[in-house]
Amino acid sequence: MKQHLGRQSGVQDVEVSLRDGKVDVTPKQDGRIDPAQLLKATYDSGVSVAELDMTVRGKIVKDASGNLALQAEPNQSFAIAPNELSQSLETLVGSATAVTVRGQLYKKPAGKKKADTSVPLKLLILEIQKKE
Amino acid sequence: MNKKQLALLLLFVSPLVPQTQAEIKHVEMRVEGMT
Repeated sequence: MKQHLGRQSGVQDVEVSLRDGKVDVTPKQDGRIDPAQLLKATYDSGVSVAELDMTVRGKIVKDASGNLALQAEPNQSFAIAPNELSQSLETLVGSATAVTVRGQLYKKPAGKKKADTSVPLKLLILEIQKKE
Repeated sequence: MNKKQLALLLLFVSPLVPQTQAEIKHVEMRVEGMT
């Protein structure tokens, strides 16, 4: 799996902890990493992903349907799942303030063996680390 | 400043401008079925 993930574009390093069932992926400094692609690559390597968390920096915007989204560079956008923390980010819509957040992009539905990657991924904000 | 001087200036200044940083800083996955 480590080699499989390491071949994905934008991936600098992959650390696998067999004991904890944890996989840490470090992106390249100037690369673009696609979390959906990571999910698929992990699944293709024969293991299922129970949860995917990420730390991402970007600007808060509203998408075409008026929902909050985190606009990250280069040209990536993540829909934000509404919760208390996301409400506190609403004031930053359209501002130049960049935020760094830790969030959960995917969690395997309880009782399902196979990951359903057809569902659009939404970022559930777990922690707001920085506003700048 | 003519075009040649401007091009030279950009050439020497561009390495000083910070490169675009990947905006995803870190990804952590919890997986099942790994042996």
